[in-house]
Amino acid sequence: MSVFIQQFINGLSIGSIYALMAVGYSLVYSILNFSNFAHGGVIMLGAYFGLYAVTLIGGMPFLGALIIAALLAGLVAVVLEKIAYRPLRKRNAPGLYFIISAMGASIFLENLVIVTIGPTFRTYPQMISREPFTFGSISISRIDVLMFVIAAISLVLLVFIIEKTKVGLAIRACSYSAKGSNLMGVNVNRIIFVIFLLGGMLAGVAGMLFGMKYTVYPQIGVITNKSFVAAVFGGLGSLPGAVIGSILLGLIETFGAGYIASNYRDLIAFSLLIVVLVIKPSGIMGKITEDKA
Amino acid sequence: MLKVRDLNVYYGGIHAIRGVDIDVQKGNIVTIIGSNGAGKSSLLNSISGIVKYQGFIEFEGKPLPTQAHNVVKSGICQVPEGRIIFANLTVQENLKMGAYLRNDKKATEADFERVYELFPRLKEREKQIAGTLSGGEQQMLAMGRGLMSSPELILLDEPSLGLAPLLINTIFEIIKEIKAMGKTILLVEQNAFKALSVADEAYVLEQGVITASGKASDLIKDPKIQEAYLGKK
Repeated sequence: MSVFIQQFINGLSIGSIYALMAVGYSLVYSILNFSNFAHGGVIMLGAYFGLYAVTLIGGMPFLGALIIAALLAGLVAVVLEKIAYRPLRKRNAPGLYFIISAMGASIFLENLVIVTIGPTFRTYPQMISREPFTFGSISISRIDVLMFVIAAISLVLLVFIIEKTKVGLAIRACSYSAKGSNLMGVNVNRIIFVIFLLGGMLAGVAGMLFGMKYTVYPQIGVITNKSFVAAVFGGLGSLPGAVIGSILLGLIETFGAGYIASNYRDLIAFSLLIVVLVIKPSGIMGKITEDKA
Repeated sequence: MLKVRDLNVYYGGIHAIRGVDIDVQKGNIVTIIGSNGAGKSSLLNSISGIVKYQGFIEFEGKPLPTQAHNVVKSGICQVPEGRIIFANLTVQENLKMGAYLRNDKKATEADFERVYELFPRLKEREKQIAGTLSGGEQQMLAMGRGLMSSPELILLDEPSLGLAPLLINTIFEIIKEIKAMGKTILLVEQNAFKALSVADEAYVLEQGVITASGKASDLIKDPKIQEAYLGKK
């Protein structure tokens, strides 16, 4: 039983990080209808931003570094949109071009880091005690708890923005019809700026947490393949879908690794993607357009 | 109030609007009738700034901005063809989207009340997801949403499209009520008889060119128009 609970908490923790990454995919997809594969690059940079905030600025508290990582990653995402996607939007380019542009941006970012910072693995200095919390026979590492709590707070903030604010309403309206929103006076470019900013900031948070738990290296963005699987699993374009898909993927992975074998982890994740695509291509909560007219 | 001069719209190699001039006087209902593909929607979309055009548009004595969100800011709102309501949002949220650019809370509240008075059905369905509304209700929502921006000029694109005859009558009654509220309306319609009956002025658009214009009450009696658009011989 204690193994089960421990695996469950591990799964939640990794799932919540997937969720932070997956909502970035979903936000962009919900409005621009393409998968932003440069998202992994932004997450990778987030891990480096956090690392340098901690190591270069003496006495930087954890939360300060997290905010710096979020802001800088948000900035990168916004600049990326301006350089890699906006020119395509102006020309009404087909969706495929956006994906190719995103892949190019992703490769560019990775190699930019390799030539400037170097390909070596780096680790965060110890900021969180390695002493686990123990409850009887269950022991939970502090970083896992921290990951879950920070991810949960970030996601609650995101939901608040989307559901309760005016800009959130406009984001939801744009996700149904950019043209309709434009006719209501919404500056669609500004809404796209906001979703890249939000997605980028969450990517920065996710990158730093992930880097703290494991290591930081230029290919760390590959992890987003998993969060992309999670986003598809939950239903691309749906935020609740992205979160639910991510948590489920985290749980399935950790239980698979714990009860079957840990090197099956990725096999399980990608098998899941195939099964979902075959049975329900729109995912658990995929966009259902219910328009009678 | 609105002056359109020498308007031209090209879609690739197609010359969809060819040198159109239109005038809309304040407080009037002006209608543009014409068959499918005559360029009626292109004309409205040019004014709204979602189609690129050449030519000159003046609104209340000033050149009209060309970006869609700035057009709304200057006081022109379009109720588009096919309604384009936000099917994923509630009725109330749709109306809020109509008031997106407004910061005058009190006046916005008052407009909410006015829209609900004009369309009691929307009040009943306030919290309902808009995609579940019937076609007629969606048209009412689209019109209510347009009114929420508190526009001086409303562009109505095919409000009767796809509606049952009884509902069409209701929609045209509401158009008259909107006029009575002091709004100016530019109405694009395929239902020429209905449109001419409510309108003050009218234009006939054929293949991107204005072929007739004048008082709606005169055009409705014009034998050529009767034959082409009103099904009389």
